[in-house]
Amino acid sequence: MSDVTQAKLSTSRRRAHWQRHLRANWLHLIMAPLALLWLSPLVWILVTSLKTNVEVFDQAAGFWPQSLNFSNYPSTLSVAPFGTYLVNSVIVTSSILTGQMITITLAAYAFARLTFPGKNLLFTLFLLQVMFPIYAIFLTNFITLREMGLVNTILAMIVPFIASGYGTFMLRQSFRQVPSELSDAARLDGCNHLEILWHVFLPLVKPTLIAFGIISVVTHWNDYMWPLLVTNSEGIRTLPIGLGLLAKADSGADWPRLMAGTTIVVSPLLLLFVIFQRRFIDSFMHTGVK
Amino acid sequence: MKSTKSNLTRRRLLASGLAAPFVSMMPGVLTPARANETVKLQFMYPVGVSGDINTIISGMISDFNATHDGIEVEAIYAGSYDNTEQKVITALGVGEPPALWLPINSSLQTFLGLDALEDITEQAKSDDIYDDFIGGFLNTAVSDDRLYGLSYQPSTPVLYYNKDAFGALGIAKAPETWDELFETAKALTIRDGDELKRWGLTIGGGWHDWMFEGYCRQNGLVPWEKDKVLWDRPEAIEALSFWKTMVDAGCMAPASTWQGSANDFMAGSTAMLYHSTGSLTNLRKSSPFEVGVAFMPKKKQWGASQGGGPIMIAKKQSDAKKEAAWTFARWMTNTENQAAWSRATGYLAVRKSSWEQPEMQQYLAEVPQAEVAMKQAQYSGAFLQVPAYSRARDSLKSAIDRTLAGEIAPAAALTDATAEVNREITRVLRRQKG
Repeated sequence: MSDVTQAKLSTSRRRAHWQRHLRANWLHLIMAPLALLWLSPLVWILVTSLKTNVEVFDQAAGFWPQSLNFSNYPSTLSVAPFGTYLVNSVIVTSSILTGQMITITLAAYAFARLTFPGKNLLFTLFLLQVMFPIYAIFLTNFITLREMGLVNTILAMIVPFIASGYGTFMLRQSFRQVPSELSDAARLDGCNHLEILWHVFLPLVKPTLIAFGIISVVTHWNDYMWPLLVTNSEGIRTLPIGLGLLAKADSGADWPRLMAGTTIVVSPLLLLFVIFQRRFIDSFMHTGVK
Repeated sequence: MKSTKSNLTRRRLLASGLAAPFVSMMPGVLTPARANETVKLQFMYPVGVSGDINTIISGMISDFNATHDGIEVEAIYAGSYDNTEQKVITALGVGEPPALWLPINSSLQTFLGLDALEDITEQAKSDDIYDDFIGGFLNTAVSDDRLYGLSYQPSTPVLYYNKDAFGALGIAKAPETWDELFETAKALTIRDGDELKRWGLTIGGGWHDWMFEGYCRQNGLVPWEKDKVLWDRPEAIEALSFWKTMVDAGCMAPASTWQGSANDFMAGSTAMLYHSTGSLTNLRKSSPFEVGVAFMPKKKQWGASQGGGPIMIAKKQSDAKKEAAWTFARWMTNTENQAAWSRATGYLAVRKSSWEQPEMQQYLAEVPQAEVAMKQAQYSGAFLQVPAYSRARDSLKSAIDRTLAGEIAPAAALTDATAEVNREITRVLRRQKG
């Protein structure tokens, strides 16, 4: 091969390479500004948490704080035992999630794949539960918990949410989309219901499970009113109640400390997402169900 | 089985109720009997002005527990005023109310309607409560001449103004009448072409119905009685028309939010602000300019209505608990504690004697603005103490908002709201009776 053709080939290969690069990554050009947009509130929260009270409202002060004022963090932490709150939030949210995952998969499987008398009526009742706003059943839930002797315990924040009509509905719809040939094949291979559920259905509806998991975690991590109602002792309360201490009724909010508190409250969730990001996104892509 | 059980409880309750007056006349008999048994009390409170209040209240309660043998108070933070009320009503609903709680004073008729409150008139009369409490504050817990609570963290709206902005225009003093307010607001408004740079006046949204009641009082009308609202009276309509005039003249913000309005004031986007005395510490410390405080301007007279709340004692509890609860409520509102509380939070001390304490005198020398709020208290009264006050507030706020947005005339808006709210109150009262 001559030098000329060699050079020509390499130029065209380089051009092709560059074009391929652009074609594969042009999305980045759009995504980068969007990512910045998405990050901006977080940056704002972080920056505000490092300012002084006067700086927040002084229009002449500019966006960045004069000096990094980390004292907002200790003074936020002194308002309430945020460490205890954090542990409680983790316990409550993860227990609810675990409980829900078990109950909704079993219930959804029953509604999607089994036939039994009164199935439709029962399912309608499940849907009704979704339609009732949680506030409407506060008092009845409270009375139930009191009869169970659970008021002012960590369990009081978990028990009412163990079953989820919404999750059952969501998962039932996904289960129904799984081709019945797959489960029939599994049955021929000798699987019982639980094995079919575990080996066939669950792997195929992973995206739904994860989507529901995210919704559930975010909802219960941020839940304020119910935990406030059923708990009295500081030792069993959760993070949003601590945050509520900083958003005040009689005067304007104490922004630097509120933002410091917000940083403390949201960072575990963010961290969790960053760690499991790949798995979240992968599971949306690799699935046999369309 | 069940009926026997409830009979027993009722009989025991009646018996202890009958015994109470006799037993309380014999303190010698009572004390040793109780000394070996600790009375446990729950106290539910909101946090109004700053997160540190939680620390302050729990600190006070630890002090109380340390100095009072036989009583143990559990401090329960219960969110905002609304949250606290919900939490207490839920507890009442299952028949286990906390021993004491601290709601907003407007909820007095709501709790009386639930038959939840202990009448503490006699205890207060045999004590120095009626002599030493500032009248405007004490009255927020009075219904039909009976006392149902000890005022603890009172506040009123006051007029905050940006002294630097006033100075730049050569305005020497805060406006004292509605007309002066209008003129001052017009002078302070800055527009750059069509673009607004600074409002002359903002009335803190979310609680603007509270300020509006102040305007009614300044115009010589208390706009409610204990079973109806009177917003359709000419005095009230005149007040709302005055707001509309200021909005139409472009010098008053037609709408705002509670926190947003405070932020706007601190950022210099509004030169005058109606806000709670509870915001004084925050506004004073966070504003990059000097903050002035003045009475809300008058029409016929000075006037304001009280926010904040009294400590209330539950009716459905044992006499031992009631007595312990009174001891605690009395202690929380004693001279020294009120003085310390007032200095730490910016709320107004409820006792005259607290204001005479040397450290309070020193506080007033440092923060003369605090005295303005205290002096305005003598012209103030309770805020909208009607049943279903929460819905009443919503109706009034909506009527005001719609008027200021130009959707409806002041008279029509207020007449509609009055009819609607009075219908609701009648319904609630009928349900309570039946």
